[in-house]
Amino acid sequence: MVNARANEIASGRSRLGAFLGGRWILAFLVIETVYFCFTAQGFAHPNSAQILLFYGVEIFLLAVAELFVIVTGGIDLSVGYVLGFASIIATKVINGLAEAGLPPLAALLAGAAATLLVGLIPGLVNGWLVAYLDVPPFIATLSMLGVCHGVSELVIHGVYAMGLPPLAAEVGSGHLLYWVRGGGFSFFTRPEVERGTEVFELVPGIVVLAAIVIGVLAFVLSRTRFGRHVYAIGGNRDAAIRAGIPVRRRLLGVYALSSLLASLAGLVYALKYVSGKADAGAGSLLDAIAAVMIGGASMFGGSGTVGRTLAGCLVIAVLELGLRMSGTPTFDKYILVGAILVLAVIVERYLQQDRK
Amino acid sequence: MRKLLVAFLMTACVALPGVAQAKPKILFMPGVADPFYFTMEKGIKAKAAELGAELTVAEYPKAWGPEHQVPILQATVARQKYDLLLIAPTSTDALKAPLKAIYGKGVEIITVDTFIGDGDYSKKSDYSFPLSYIGSDNELGGKQMAVHLAKLVGEKGKVFCEATNPDASSVQGRVKGFKEGIAQFPNMQVVGVEWCLDVQQKAQEQTLAALQKDKDIVGIFGTNVFSAQGSYQAVVNAGLTGAVKIASWDATKDLIGALKKGQVDLVLAQKPAEMGSLAVEWGVKYLKDKKHVKVPKKVIPGFEFFTRDNVDDPAMQKFIYQ
Amino acid sequence: MHTAHPGRPGGFLASPAGRALARNWAACFLLIMLVVFSLTGRNFLSIVNFQNVVHLQTLPLLLAAAETFVIVTGGIDLSIGFVAGLASVTAATLMQRLAAAGMPAGWVILLGAVGALVLSLLPGLVNGLVITRFKVPPFIATLGMWGIANGVALKLCEGFPVAGLPEQLPRLGNGYVLYVLPGSFFSLFDKPESFSDARVRELWRLVPYSLPFVLVLLGALAFVLRRGRFGRHTYAIGGSMDAAIRAGIDVDRHLMGTYVLSSALAGLAGVFNVFQTGIGNYTTFSSMYELFAVAAVVIGGASLSGGKGRISGSAVGVLVLAFMENGLAISGVVPFYRYIAVGVLLVVAVVIDKLFPDLF
Repeated sequence: MVNARANEIASGRSRLGAFLGGRWILAFLVIETVYFCFTAQGFAHPNSAQILLFYGVEIFLLAVAELFVIVTGGIDLSVGYVLGFASIIATKVINGLAEAGLPPLAALLAGAAATLLVGLIPGLVNGWLVAYLDVPPFIATLSMLGVCHGVSELVIHGVYAMGLPPLAAEVGSGHLLYWVRGGGFSFFTRPEVERGTEVFELVPGIVVLAAIVIGVLAFVLSRTRFGRHVYAIGGNRDAAIRAGIPVRRRLLGVYALSSLLASLAGLVYALKYVSGKADAGAGSLLDAIAAVMIGGASMFGGSGTVGRTLAGCLVIAVLELGLRMSGTPTFDKYILVGAILVLAVIVERYLQQDRK
Repeated sequence: MRKLLVAFLMTACVALPGVAQAKPKILFMPGVADPFYFTMEKGIKAKAAELGAELTVAEYPKAWGPEHQVPILQATVARQKYDLLLIAPTSTDALKAPLKAIYGKGVEIITVDTFIGDGDYSKKSDYSFPLSYIGSDNELGGKQMAVHLAKLVGEKGKVFCEATNPDASSVQGRVKGFKEGIAQFPNMQVVGVEWCLDVQQKAQEQTLAALQKDKDIVGIFGTNVFSAQGSYQAVVNAGLTGAVKIASWDATKDLIGALKKGQVDLVLAQKPAEMGSLAVEWGVKYLKDKKHVKVPKKVIPGFEFFTRDNVDDPAMQKFIYQ
Repeated sequence: MHTAHPGRPGGFLASPAGRALARNWAACFLLIMLVVFSLTGRNFLSIVNFQNVVHLQTLPLLLAAAETFVIVTGGIDLSIGFVAGLASVTAATLMQRLAAAGMPAGWVILLGAVGALVLSLLPGLVNGLVITRFKVPPFIATLGMWGIANGVALKLCEGFPVAGLPEQLPRLGNGYVLYVLPGSFFSLFDKPESFSDARVRELWRLVPYSLPFVLVLLGALAFVLRRGRFGRHTYAIGGSMDAAIRAGIDVDRHLMGTYVLSSALAGLAGVFNVFQTGIGNYTTFSSMYELFAVAAVVIGGASLSGGKGRISGSAVGVLVLAFMENGLAISGVVPFYRYIAVGVLLVVAVVIDKLFPDLF
């Protein structure tokens, strides 16, 4: 009798485990969202989702960048300072062009293009070092971190990169839709209202941009040959070489892509905060890598998806936002975030174990 | 348990309508997690309690910068309607738009310690909506430090500056002011500026290297708690206490203790608690009578200088950060 | 490893010494750096400078040693920086309370230090438990502890450095064994009584207390890693966990021990920091201690996938990074150019090793 009951419990658990299995992170995300809706003042409001997404864009982009690199079994420590470097380049170029007489829109577009182009360089160097000179990714990207930091500080020379034209702020903080309570709708431009009138902003432009970019990358990783090669390299490098995959070229591409995404994040930063800063991305590196890990990727490469990585990002972001809006004191929050994330992964491992 | 709490609160709200409506709701958004702002919080808390205002302290940003502060600000502001926001903006440009939007919702704003734009809210501009800027004049402070330090070393010799974060406007201001101050003395020279990024260990390493490079350094200016602590420890380590004079910005108990022991020679205390207190006071005053109260657009409480002569003075004790 | 090519010159390069040199590119690089900086920066080549650097690297050296054990098993410990900060704050707070209660200084220091050391076993226990029993990847497990240790440390000191500790502390932490005034006298353990401060720049101080401390400790750890059973098991697990299990090693217990050791060493680093600075310091977010500890270990020859790495290599890695900064600063390279220079030099060193394996 005891055995039958134990078996029943065990099979019940493994059925739950089988159902949740790889989807635990999503389940956890739902659970914590629901929890905070009840316990955190003001959380259960569409605005919270906007805050989360709008301010999380840089980390989402960095996390996807790290994902590609981590899947190949490497790591990119330079993304934070590439972001900072790009934010400075973007600010300086757009400013320079606007002051030289170019119309704001042209300055913005040209500046964006320049930022992304220049932003490829750190990645190309990283990729070349890792793929062709066999430098361990940790060291290569750590060095690039220092180089970007130094170059950034030298470019700004102790004076902040700022003073972007108003159009930049409009694009950076622009939303697709504005609704004035009692008034009407407005597309793309923020309506001027009297003080005290409520204006609802919906769907930030940069979030849409990031969503498109990330969507494309998800497709690339899962459906294209490039993506398949990336997984293969991470899974077993020698086998990949034997299979005829141009491993070196792919690695170069992966690190260049990482750097490009970090530069895009830097451009977004410049538009959002109308300024550029050398350490703009310094705090985001650890969060980005953590998101990839929580999303289930292995540190040694070969696994991980964009969707899971985004889930990882959201888990962390919702946790931070929820605790913030619960009025948790700062130091307690540090402890809780650490403990809860570990607990979430403990449960995930537990469920995955049962499935065997 | 939750139901009991809600019931109790609702009863309280019904029972004390008059008092509940009159309490101004204040939100304090600090700049970064460090002793200066922890001290400011204490000043704000005390004044708010005294005036019967309800205070919320937002999460302390991990590092200096709008990317750390603005998400916290937006999340906290979304929780409820505040009447007054006391904020130490971590970027002169990036905070303009978010603060304007918050102002647009009907919240009064006072910037403490740092400012947006150029800090002059009295002239017409896109950043003139805050009530006031209550803070330090970092450049002036840097200059004053330079003059005091110069006097200590006899107005000649080489000095070194151990700074912290080049991306923080307040620090850049202090370094700039210090350099300009030393430039007034023809026999003195700033041999170098190093950035320890708030890591005391790095400040020690950099100071020791600087002392090694220029063996005739006679004075060092540490621009915040961590840089000052690191540089005086480096000097003690090198056995050069007394031969090298140390000027420290920010007055923690350790630095004051070092001053007493002779390991530090000059300590500048900003007045974070007073800044916070003044901000609360002016803010609440204004909220009670918006039509008639005129808040000064700029209030600079100034600095206090601790030297070995006045360090035990009872009147000075309240300026120590604790 | 560098395999012998047919037709490769024999002689020194093929000899055991030559091959050892080739394996230790980091040490060679360090030596070359020391020579170059002696030429470009006056005052670089001095006992005072070298002692200063090594003395201040005690904390990073301990952290790198901690990280070595963990990385060789194929794991990683991100929490060591904040655990060190927690230990620093704990030790200082204990000492402060005991001193205020009137206890004599010797006991205050001893109890404070031991108390903090014992407490710093706890984060390692938790890490080990979470990693072995609950199968959480080390990155995430130690990332969680990263946040927890930081939060606890800040709560304990309320955000302020802990002052009010016994005077003897920094004297112990920064003391030297030998004090020499060239031409007249020398004294042991302290400045001579009759010494006037005006001549302080002529005084020579030799062998900081921290030097024998760190040499003995690292020596012991190196011995354990290279020759002890604990060390052999560490390499085995890092090489292949399955093979280790099949060989009968209790992997879970061993990993537990590894993370506890890591945490204990981090705690020791934090306690030493209190001795060295005379106050209790929480670790700030910008320190990135763990990043540089891992970097040092990788420079020293370890691989992040485990199975390789040595204490001596990690120590060399720490010194390479430290002397690079120190040398460039003394040579007058301005801070921001230094960030670039350090990055470039590091890569150049690794590349030279890869491109010209026969160079040494």
